[in-house]
Amino acid sequence: MRELSVMVSFSYGEKKVLENVSFSAKKGELLSIIGPNGAGKSTLLKCMVGILKPKGRIEFDSINLMDLKPKDRAKFITYVPQSSVSEFAFTIQEFVEMGAYTTRGDVERALRKVNLWNRRRELVTNLSGGEYQLVLIARALAQGSEIILLDEPTSNLDINHSLKIMEILSELKGEKLIIAVMHDLNLALRYSDRLILLSKGRIEWEGSSNELKPEILEKVYHVKAKIVEIEGNSLVLADI
Amino acid sequence: MKRILALCIISAFLIISAVSIGSVSVPLIKVLQSIIYGIKMNLGFGAKSPGTGDTYFTIIWDIRFPRVLLAYLVGFSLASAGTASQALFKNPLADPYILGISGGASVGAALAAIYFPKYMGMFALIFALASVYVVYTISKVDGHIPVDTLLLAGIAFGFFSSAITSYLVYVGREKIHNAIFWLMGTFNGALWTDVKLVFLSSFTGFLFLILRWKELNLLLFGEESIALGLDVSFYRKAIIFVISLLTAFAVSTSGIIGFVGLISPHAMRIIFGPNHKRLLPASALFGGSLMVMADMFARILIKPQEIPVGIVTAVFGAPFFIYLLTKRKRGEIYA
Repeated sequence: MRELSVMVSFSYGEKKVLENVSFSAKKGELLSIIGPNGAGKSTLLKCMVGILKPKGRIEFDSINLMDLKPKDRAKFITYVPQSSVSEFAFTIQEFVEMGAYTTRGDVERALRKVNLWNRRRELVTNLSGGEYQLVLIARALAQGSEIILLDEPTSNLDINHSLKIMEILSELKGEKLIIAVMHDLNLALRYSDRLILLSKGRIEWEGSSNELKPEILEKVYHVKAKIVEIEGNSLVLADI
Repeated sequence: MKRILALCIISAFLIISAVSIGSVSVPLIKVLQSIIYGIKMNLGFGAKSPGTGDTYFTIIWDIRFPRVLLAYLVGFSLASAGTASQALFKNPLADPYILGISGGASVGAALAAIYFPKYMGMFALIFALASVYVVYTISKVDGHIPVDTLLLAGIAFGFFSSAITSYLVYVGREKIHNAIFWLMGTFNGALWTDVKLVFLSSFTGFLFLILRWKELNLLLFGEESIALGLDVSFYRKAIIFVISLLTAFAVSTSGIIGFVGLISPHAMRIIFGPNHKRLLPASALFGGSLMVMADMFARILIKPQEIPVGIVTAVFGAPFFIYLLTKRKRGEIYA
């Protein structure tokens, strides 16, 4: 199974944002990165996709992705930004076609996956936040990269759209490696194979949903937490 | 595609009409005959008489046709550069002059008017390109060009060079008369050499941009488009170079003409949407047509005198722009 191995540090001038963040993940996994605001979660994703230039290495099956040009790197890794509205009135189809390796067939497959193929001629500016997020995912999917990074894919979305997106990500992980920054701990616990808890630029904890202990959350988030199990799913209750 | 073709036809019709209109009105058919004869003559097969009388031929081939063509090509260049600027800066208010080109060109032209009056165009060109280089160097951080810094550096440089130009105008007095006309933009006295020069720059610049329409679309999304395989840093530099080429050559032949580079992409975005595959050619063709019309007004509004064309584009352009903005405010236009 193809494996991603990350070991990075990143600073904005003097300010260290990521310090020796090191982890690995396999294709077929859905990995969530959780942690409080300012922990460096989004920065980590931006480093991995190449928007920021960290120190260290990011290897996928012994290919150092940091050495590759953007077009070559896009074959392996892509990124869905944190965004709720589009400023530019492209049609859904035009928007999804933008990837480096995207063909017409890829666009149709990706849009069918998110159930928007029939609406491909509509403008992305007229979509709701949830629908726009689906279009962003379809764009990443159509490019065919093996690793998809998502920055808070469910933020600002209602519960229905959030679940829909997590279901789609769960289906996708069969053929991809999905790494998502998540703020909603319950969605993260329910859908992830593994979680990484980031705090102040370091990995504080790493493990599967049922291994997460309330003490760790309390230490990082500074709130009282309780984890209960309902029908096999872990549920975080905060501040009670 | 049909709409782009319609714009091509409108462009051709406007060029022919603009050549026929002037202090001496020439019938359209004679305009066509003269142009065809002129082309044949220049290609080396056509020693026959133009059949329109020598006076008409001289007016059309030596004076009006190069002027109208130059106006078209300058409009075409500025609108192409404006479209690319708006993609580069991800900002609908960006225009081709934002990189400091107009400021630099003005200083060059004013200096030349005082010391080397024959070389005004050349000075404008050199100073325009040098200004882009200065603005670009100021904005560079670790080999990258953050567009916000570039935008602010361009604006600051614009104010700085405008102060120098004002000073030169003040001390140059009589000598600067030509430069003043130039600063407001004019196609008066256009030569075939100007046409050839701007044709080359506009053709090369446009060709690069249209072959890279996908990259222009991606630039709208900034750094994030790296995830879609775009070498953002390389394309930013390449687009800055092309905008400079298109704008500097246009400005060096005809002065500072505002609004066409700003309005053309705006107006065409309403009809064609933001996809540069259609937006760029539409905007370029529209810019050319708009400039030909503006120059036509510049020639005929207060006959036999001329108004600098930059005044015409601003007088008509500014209200049109405000109209677009109010539409946008009401949410009728998605840019």
